[in-house]
Amino acid sequence: MSDLRVNLCGVELKNPVIPASGTFGFGREFDELYDISVLGGVCTKGLTLEPRLGNPVPRIAESRGVILNAVGLQNPGVEHFIEHDLTWLKAKTRVIANVAGRETEDYGKICARLDGLVDFIELNISCPNVKCGGMALGVRPENVENVTRIAKSALKRTPLLVKLSPNVESIAENARAAERGGADGISLVNTFTGMVIDVERRRPLLANNTGGVSGAGIKPIAVRMVYEAAHAVNIPVVGMGGIVCAEDAIEFLMAGATTVEVGTQNFTDAFACPKIIDGLQKWCDFHGVERISELIGAVKMNG
Amino acid sequence: MRELTATVLENKKIAEEIYALTFGAEETPPVRAGQFVMVGVEGFPLRRPLAVCKAEGERVTVCYRIKGEGTRRLASGYSRGEKISVLLPLGNGFFVAEKEKRVAIVGGGVGIFPLISAIREYAETKEIYAYMGFRNKGALCMQYEMQRAKELVVATDDGSVGYRGTAVQAFMENIDRVRPDVILSCGPTPMLRALKSAVAGRNIPTFVSLEERMGCGVGACLVCVCELTNGEHARVCKDGPVFEIGEVNL
Repeated sequence: MSDLRVNLCGVELKNPVIPASGTFGFGREFDELYDISVLGGVCTKGLTLEPRLGNPVPRIAESRGVILNAVGLQNPGVEHFIEHDLTWLKAKTRVIANVAGRETEDYGKICARLDGLVDFIELNISCPNVKCGGMALGVRPENVENVTRIAKSALKRTPLLVKLSPNVESIAENARAAERGGADGISLVNTFTGMVIDVERRRPLLANNTGGVSGAGIKPIAVRMVYEAAHAVNIPVVGMGGIVCAEDAIEFLMAGATTVEVGTQNFTDAFACPKIIDGLQKWCDFHGVERISELIGAVKMNG
Repeated sequence: MRELTATVLENKKIAEEIYALTFGAEETPPVRAGQFVMVGVEGFPLRRPLAVCKAEGERVTVCYRIKGEGTRRLASGYSRGEKISVLLPLGNGFFVAEKEKRVAIVGGGVGIFPLISAIREYAETKEIYAYMGFRNKGALCMQYEMQRAKELVVATDDGSVGYRGTAVQAFMENIDRVRPDVILSCGPTPMLRALKSAVAGRNIPTFVSLEERMGCGVGACLVCVCELTNGEHARVCKDGPVFEIGEVNL
């Protein structure tokens, strides 16, 4: 039996498969379908200091091979999560707390609150930010570096992952900016900004007009970006974007990811994550891969 | 809540743009009136949330309107014998209390289908008064199921069959005679709004089943929310789809 364990920023995960933020809540609903302790970890719904109501509906749309979402960070607030869900979730598997803020200072505060309580922080810097003129904090490298530094300075014990937006000029540049700011790792890709128009109504289908594109259709772009980012930094990478099956996950590992996150496929197939874990075990056993970590960055470029 | 690979037993057109899909699987769990299922359509990332119309042991019937590419594919690609992935049972469903004997049912459009599951569940033990609205004669379907009610009024917008007008208008003409203990409703939002204002102040418990675009269908993704009168958001898939009418902003 191949060893599926991986080490991410000094923390051991039983396998590299993690449901992505926003597709899995805090794990309770999916735990009614299967025991979520089989997962390498769970990345929580995006948390903010205060509870948030999010965007108007409709919040989701579909296009060929992809979906778009504009949930707008609805969440019960970090205190509610700590009080009601954290202990339960921690007993199941590794906890990656996805966090966001309105102002850069919010990132410091929420990281300080969660330090030592969760296994990882994943910084969501793709939400529009007032101080950046409505532009996402994660677009300009100097902003990425700044918010990473603020978050990192609030953390004494919990490793910091910075989740990079793909809607940027250079993913390698932003990966390096996160590394300079003190990130212990990076995760990518977040969703691509997109729009779907209802031609009968001559209006965008999403109430928010635009939303984040995810799902199988974005995978080749995500794999390329993970490859570029992983080769630009010396910190570990969490790869995601359109993973449907074990082979997709292996592509991300070979591109340089240490672990992967699975998002949209949880909607298509509620059992996607356990199926991918089984698939990884079979693939590694069949190919004589002793430890799955051997696959990290194993791709060799042509010519 | 389970995921099943069920077998399609029937998938046929029952009215203009309306199809009834019946599937079965040995391990089908019990499904209550007003609950729904998420149906997987090959090649589409999102499952389609469809209200249960009939649940008979291991056989479940859901009805849907052809609305876009996904439902078109569901209608054309799943004939008898095909396998189909379903997640069920989902949502809370309709509950009628023991002491509530007279049940009024007010439905419109595809909203009539979850109400048929309620008629079926309560026809034996309650007095059911059903007011069902359709666009026109061509949209009328499932009459034999609705006839399980003690009283049935079919309403059409153009009067091509039955009462000319809306289901809410038909209901309000009869409400003082029927004196319902509880009202169950499902239909387009304007219809639910009309019902809400029509019954305001009458102190009759009224439950509505809501529709919203969904992501996961199990309560995790917070995509399908509705606004509560207390300012909070509730998940249509998990906290609903059935809500007390006074509890939600329509």
